[in-house]
Amino acid sequence: MGKEIIPAAEKSLNLIRGRLCDPSYVFRPLSASSDSNYSKLKFIVSTSITEGCNNSILLLGPRGSGKAAVLDLVAGDLLEEFPDSVSLIRLNGLLHSDDNCAFKEIARQLCMEHHLLFSKMASLDENSQFIVAMLRECGLAHKTIIFVLDEFDMFAQGKQRLLYSLLDAMQSVTSQAVVIGISSRLDADQLLEKRVRSRFSHRKILFLPPSREEFDGLLEHLLSLPADSSFPNGYVSRFNEKIKNITSDTRFKDILRTLFNANSTVNSLLKFIFRAVSLMNLESGLLSLENFKAALSSMQRQPKLEAVRDCSILELYLLVCMRRLEVKEQSAYNIISVMKEYKTIHDSFQTSDYYAQNVCLRAFEHLRERQVICYTENRGQSQTGEYRPMKLLISASELHQGMRSHACCPAILLKLLDH
Amino acid sequence: MPREESSKATRRSTRSSSSVTVENAEPNESHQPTVDDLTFGDESITVDAVLSNFPGRRSQILDLIRLMGPLDCPTLPVMIYGSASTGKTSVVLQVLRHLSRPFVYSSCRTCYSPRILFESILNQLLLHRKCSSNGYSSAKRCDKPSDFVNLLREALGNVIESLESGSGTSRPDKSDGKPMGKMVYLIFDNVDLIRDWDKGSMILQFLFSLYNVLKMPQLGIILISGLPPDVYYSNMGYTDPLPLYFPEYSEEDLRQIFLRNQANRKLYAAFLDVVLKPFCRVTRRLEELSTTFSSLFRKYCEPLDDLGISPNEDMKRRLYSHLKPLIAPCLNEIFRVSSHPHDGDTRGERRQKASYSSENREELETLDFHMSVSAKFLLIAAFLASRNPATLDASMFDSTGGMDNRKRKRKASEKSMEKKEMAEQEAVMKGPGSFPLERLLAIFQCIASVGDSSFGEEEEEEDEDPTGYDKENNNLMSDILLQVSSLCDANFLIKSGSCPLEGSIRYRSMVSEDLALKAARSLSFPLAKYLYRR
Repeated sequence: MGKEIIPAAEKSLNLIRGRLCDPSYVFRPLSASSDSNYSKLKFIVSTSITEGCNNSILLLGPRGSGKAAVLDLVAGDLLEEFPDSVSLIRLNGLLHSDDNCAFKEIARQLCMEHHLLFSKMASLDENSQFIVAMLRECGLAHKTIIFVLDEFDMFAQGKQRLLYSLLDAMQSVTSQAVVIGISSRLDADQLLEKRVRSRFSHRKILFLPPSREEFDGLLEHLLSLPADSSFPNGYVSRFNEKIKNITSDTRFKDILRTLFNANSTVNSLLKFIFRAVSLMNLESGLLSLENFKAALSSMQRQPKLEAVRDCSILELYLLVCMRRLEVKEQSAYNIISVMKEYKTIHDSFQTSDYYAQNVCLRAFEHLRERQVICYTENRGQSQTGEYRPMKLLISASELHQGMRSHACCPAILLKLLDH
Repeated sequence: MPREESSKATRRSTRSSSSVTVENAEPNESHQPTVDDLTFGDESITVDAVLSNFPGRRSQILDLIRLMGPLDCPTLPVMIYGSASTGKTSVVLQVLRHLSRPFVYSSCRTCYSPRILFESILNQLLLHRKCSSNGYSSAKRCDKPSDFVNLLREALGNVIESLESGSGTSRPDKSDGKPMGKMVYLIFDNVDLIRDWDKGSMILQFLFSLYNVLKMPQLGIILISGLPPDVYYSNMGYTDPLPLYFPEYSEEDLRQIFLRNQANRKLYAAFLDVVLKPFCRVTRRLEELSTTFSSLFRKYCEPLDDLGISPNEDMKRRLYSHLKPLIAPCLNEIFRVSSHPHDGDTRGERRQKASYSSENREELETLDFHMSVSAKFLLIAAFLASRNPATLDASMFDSTGGMDNRKRKRKASEKSMEKKEMAEQEAVMKGPGSFPLERLLAIFQCIASVGDSSFGEEEEEEDEDPTGYDKENNNLMSDILLQVSSLCDANFLIKSGSCPLEGSIRYRSMVSEDLALKAARSLSFPLAKYLYRR
């Protein structure tokens, strides 16, 4: 491969990919307007800092809508504005849903902030006493502690001891704390217990998918190269020109519409652009519409179709037998009945593909591994071995489509499927 | 190791100690792992070498290289999925060898619990090697995801610092296997096995969101899974990684793969022309085909004296006709290791060829393994007990021994035919019935006495001592319970739940009809007469 790669192309690729992987860069333009979630959140938190009162908020929205990113932006700005009077404690529901872990992590982060020695051997009670004492001290010193609880719904499982103790400690006059919960379950506040919910101020900020204009602005913000001296001058203008051409093309708008019909969060757009940018032609250093088309087709995967296309011909026979049994309204079938159907097909059509029982058993195992078929749950009678009832995990139309696009599917199978 | 040898030279060497080679000084003790060890280790290879090593994987390799991006380019997590033996792990490792980037590899098959997984990754990142000096323990103890995140952040920070300081020196030869760049890649292999772990769904969620939790742009995550990504959807939702699919090999790719590393390509190509198409109809998995083809190829080359020649059309036809009768049975035995001796025993092969050339029916007649007479009778008795309803025992096993006095059946009406079909379907779905031990013993005694009469005739043909037979008859009953328990161990009988009224254990026979027929035929027992047909 003796083709030349422009070094500027690599640099621009690095730059754009770096932007895509950095959530705070991505969400900055979305937060610019005055009625965005960013400004609402910032207003609430900064008022509670300046007025020295307690508060609790929930940020809700589907995955990938930028809740954590906006919170990071707000936190960054607040730490700049009020350098000494804010400290940030982060918890994640996936990691710290156990009370022991949670208290230990809070104590560890508090110790790190205030340069105290943290002992790993401290028990749960010692940690919780330490936290309550710290809250009181910080309140007396007019320092606000912001607790960020990611995956809030995971904390709401079990006895909710952490939530209760945090929200309870906030009820006292001396403490100054803000609890911000982030969750992708829109009913996260319904999960709280009665005593926890009564201490929770029901403030919720919903993160909805952005509008089309905002998406267009976001595209431009992400893909246009800055005109600084690190890039050759003509290259930057050519690149941005090409981007403008592509984004105003109707075919590109169609591609975007198809993408947003499936998933209209910002995250899916980011993945789409990432894929397209990775396919950038490094010799010319410019993006093209084909990159975006290829990216869309790689995002629209159909795993079950791929699984059917990967099957060997014997496995296709077995799938067709199961489908025929279903058509005959035999809702429950097991390996023995499928083998019987297989034998009747062989007898009536004299196919050349008739294999012994143990070969077919192994073909069943392959199909199970690919998650095309599975065993149904036991209803009380525990069957073993070949008598366990099975079911198909793909629909008839998927099977049809897969077989038609199969490389070497025999015609008789398609005929059998239709009757 | 010159250091070790000099320290040992000062010891007084007695005769016993000098006779024992003192090689147990571990070679690793003087070798501390460094950041350079995080790469593949060998010299890096070009893209063309990677592409030629993996026929049929061209687009996947190029996709992976493009997704990982140029040096020091941040990347989103990638998931590579495909069925077994499609080359996922080897492609990833070879691509990382080509790119010479530092990586940490851990497989969820060898690290079978979260603690082992976390500690293995941390050991590699903290450049800690388990040896006798630290008692083969890990660097840090870590079994919770929260500890893992904190320790991982520290360890990654250290590694990235040393990479940055190391990359400051200019290296003229970029292909010497030293790490390039400032990014570290974490590879998790066999991620689908985590589903079966304790709290597996939580660990999976944690892995998928590891990138978001750590928020380190110098980290790249690659997940390798045997199952497609839609298996991991859960009601918690997750940010899915970028998928990359490795399909099964097509026939053309399989041909190219098999032709590599063959001494005589033309001969093997002729062989593949014969066998590849029929075997690909059954399975396209590489590992299963390769084991069959290796034994078949040996058979194919039998008539040839010189394995180095390239065959012409005539010879190809001859070899094909030699191999042809073996293909059909081999297709049906594709997963069974043949118990007949293959090489060396020509008499065995001739017998084998004779059995292959005859109909398949003859194969059905012999049992593959040896069972004693009483065990065979027990097997048949269990089979009958599971298949026949208990109420018919009296008529089946009366003194005349058979179903001779069945009533003449009327012509079946359509409704009764439908009912019969439904009943058959239900019987197939329900599986074999269960029976108490007493019923099994009763049937056994009945049919053993029937079998005695026919057995006695055969005995005179053999050379064994016929007088010993009578004693056997009396002793046949004493170790029946032993036989029952050994049949249970061999999974011919299984214990099903006990009836709450009677309180005794019920058994179920898991013997297929073929096996019961084979056993009956070896005893010359008329099984068909005793089987209840609806």
